[in-house]
Amino acid sequence: MMEKIIFALITVMIIFLLPPLLDGISRKVKAKIQYRVGASIFQTYYDLQSLLNMEPILPTERLAFRIAPYIAFASALAATLVLPFGSFVPVAFTGDFFVFLYVLAMFSVAMMIAGFSVNNSYTNAGANREMMLILSIEPVLGVAIGVFALNAHSLSIGGIPLNITFTPSLILAYVLLAYAVYVEGGFIPFDIAEAETEILEGPLCEYSGRLLGMFKWAMLIKRLALLWLFVSFLVLPIMKNIVDITTFTGGLATLVAQLVVLFIIYGIIAIIEASNARLRIDQAIRQNTKVFFAGLVVLLIAALGW
Amino acid sequence: MKYLEELKAKFGERIEEIKQLAHNQWLITVDKDILHEVVVYFLKHPEWKETQLSTMVGTDERPLRGKFSVTYWLSVNGNSDDVYIGIKAYLPADDPRFKSVTPLHKGANWYEREVQDLLGIIPEGHPDPRKLVLPDDWPSCVYPLRKDFHYSDSPQGEKYYPYREPPQGTTVHPIGPYHVALDEPAHFRLYVKGEEIIDCDYRGFYSHRGIEKISESRLTYDQICFIAERICGICGFTHSTAYCQAVEAAGEIEVPERALYIRTIMLELERLHSHLLWIGVACHLTGFDTGFMHAWRLREHVMWLCERLTGNRKTYGINLVGGVRRDFLDYRKEMIEDVLKKLKSEFGKLVDDLTSTKTFIKRCEGVGVLPYKLAHEWSVDGPLGRGSGRDFDVRRDHPYAAYGDLDFKVPVYKEGDVLARALVRIEETWESIWIIEQALDQLPGGDILAEYKEIPPYREAIGTTEAPRGENVHYVMTGPGNTVYRYRARAATYNNLPAVPDMLRGYTIADAPLIIASIDPCYSCTERVQIVDIESGKVRILKEEEFNKLSIKASRRV
Repeated sequence: MMEKIIFALITVMIIFLLPPLLDGISRKVKAKIQYRVGASIFQTYYDLQSLLNMEPILPTERLAFRIAPYIAFASALAATLVLPFGSFVPVAFTGDFFVFLYVLAMFSVAMMIAGFSVNNSYTNAGANREMMLILSIEPVLGVAIGVFALNAHSLSIGGIPLNITFTPSLILAYVLLAYAVYVEGGFIPFDIAEAETEILEGPLCEYSGRLLGMFKWAMLIKRLALLWLFVSFLVLPIMKNIVDITTFTGGLATLVAQLVVLFIIYGIIAIIEASNARLRIDQAIRQNTKVFFAGLVVLLIAALGW
Repeated sequence: MKYLEELKAKFGERIEEIKQLAHNQWLITVDKDILHEVVVYFLKHPEWKETQLSTMVGTDERPLRGKFSVTYWLSVNGNSDDVYIGIKAYLPADDPRFKSVTPLHKGANWYEREVQDLLGIIPEGHPDPRKLVLPDDWPSCVYPLRKDFHYSDSPQGEKYYPYREPPQGTTVHPIGPYHVALDEPAHFRLYVKGEEIIDCDYRGFYSHRGIEKISESRLTYDQICFIAERICGICGFTHSTAYCQAVEAAGEIEVPERALYIRTIMLELERLHSHLLWIGVACHLTGFDTGFMHAWRLREHVMWLCERLTGNRKTYGINLVGGVRRDFLDYRKEMIEDVLKKLKSEFGKLVDDLTSTKTFIKRCEGVGVLPYKLAHEWSVDGPLGRGSGRDFDVRRDHPYAAYGDLDFKVPVYKEGDVLARALVRIEETWESIWIIEQALDQLPGGDILAEYKEIPPYREAIGTTEAPRGENVHYVMTGPGNTVYRYRARAATYNNLPAVPDMLRGYTIADAPLIIASIDPCYSCTERVQIVDIESGKVRILKEEEFNKLSIKASRRV
């Protein structure tokens, strides 16, 4: 029981407090690439703190505008809860992988609600873009996880990485998953819905103070959820051969391994972000569609058992 | 000039006077009824392909001859000839009207609206006679550039501006007056369907400062050099050079060779920093901040160099009528060489980074296309024109400063998209480095400032330079007692900006900031000219004493 509580505590810390740190590190890496000193790696905490302490200015009376950030936050949180932290999965049940996809989609729905709840062509454009982007990438994510599920004969995100067997289609599934996670995370060149220099952060354009802070925090947590999924699928199948994950120490070792890989991946993402320009929405959708059809082929290969 | 006979044969007696102002400048005075015909005759002349409307000047000559005048200044470019032609017509003081050229040549649009705003000269048949320069709350029938208007007056009217109605089924997507992608206030009203831009209306001149009025009212020849440099915070030196050249041409002042070379070097250093700045901005607008940071890091070296050479990072303040105020010391030549060496290696790397960033190229390619025909109709200039196949460059076609002695290429691309403009600027950066190297090698000795006696009054001339953004044209009509009678500054962006709506149509709002930025717009340049306190609506001009106090305070801080 004690062990469970410790894991739960660590998990809560990771979900709530780690995302701003990761963002701070990513900003530092980018600054180094750009020959800048850059802000402290804790800057994102300071940003969130000042935003969360400020009263928002409301451009509309609509309730939807006010609750959208909380829906986004709750969705991002829900997405993390079905993921394995070491041996610990906060909420595990068969079929939770559908839940994962649903709540991620909910996050985007919250962004759309936010964008459409005010009469502003910038937020509307942002909401439109978010919708198009999510419609084009969510199927890719679904297909990628589908290949894993097919391989592991499991519909639970906690169970999949422990039961996969190595096949050629699996490598392709990893590539698909990495792509889907990257796009859905809204990293450059896919930060299209919030493009600052084009549409002034799109759906977030009219937000300020606490509400903006909630949205920003939620976005960081959503990125963590996506990356944590990828990291778990990468780390758990390796760790299960080295340690017994079900024991306390084994679980802890796995968690540490997950964290290390997460940091490395976040660093790599920062480098990719620093060396790219933003795509236009039509370019991104064309690319996502191509990847989706490639994904269907991978699914077919997996179904054949390769 | 070889085509004058042809012109005389065609228009006969209605040509009142033909006068040569300077070695490459001619002034043709014609009857006001054929003004538009003569202008279009030159603009559409089959043998002068790159002829363009360089500027247009309206003057209140009532104190001199009881008439208003308008002069269209055309430049003959490309391989045709090195000629500037002014086509002038006098208009009666009680009814100043002339036939608009705009229906025949789009490029005249803004010029004619400007004389209507500032002088009350009415272009008949203008397709879009809305207010252009004056603020929304300026009362009608008050014309600030008329000589009977005092520069400190500040009339107040009602605030109103007739924006165009959105086309059916479109919504308004306003970019500006303030927007992250605009470095200065400007207002592009995009009429969009979803993300697609159907049409666009433009309202600008928010930073109109009344420079021309101040120059004509209370400054001396040499003081104007400094205010001309402050027309723009990026390419100010080409403005002061153009102004000086205009006065030098009008006053027939011989500028020492060394001064010409120093001007050339500073002009090219300015181009270097300006193009690096643009590359940075273009990267930033597409979300490629690494390119942005590196371009600006390189630019910083140029800024530091300029500070060592002139005392200022920007707004060098070394131009005077007749030459320059500051000499290059010999050891500083080495500094220039060092910076150029550094630039050469690092700029190459930056360009490689840019061209190998596929996402960046994808955003620039095939976007914001301005076909050659439209480019010609709008009389666009500079990298925008050269990106659309217009083969002209003031430095080559009308050599000024020391450009006649130097060897350089003029890059021209036919694609007319954002990428073509970027490539033109990148190649020009290389050429600038090469020009500075040559100028340094050939730098002659001698004086840097010519002495001159009084400049005779009521002479006209223009001075042109190739600014980083295109052709800058400054017109000067000298006045009595060390003052100008009429001063008209035309920045490159003035010709380029009206073409932007044509470049935006059919693209998406995602492309809009990049397309707008691709002409490297400089709004304050375009809008020049009153320190107006918007809140009280009063024109506030610092008294000399006040100003001196402020300056002394500022320099003490340093």
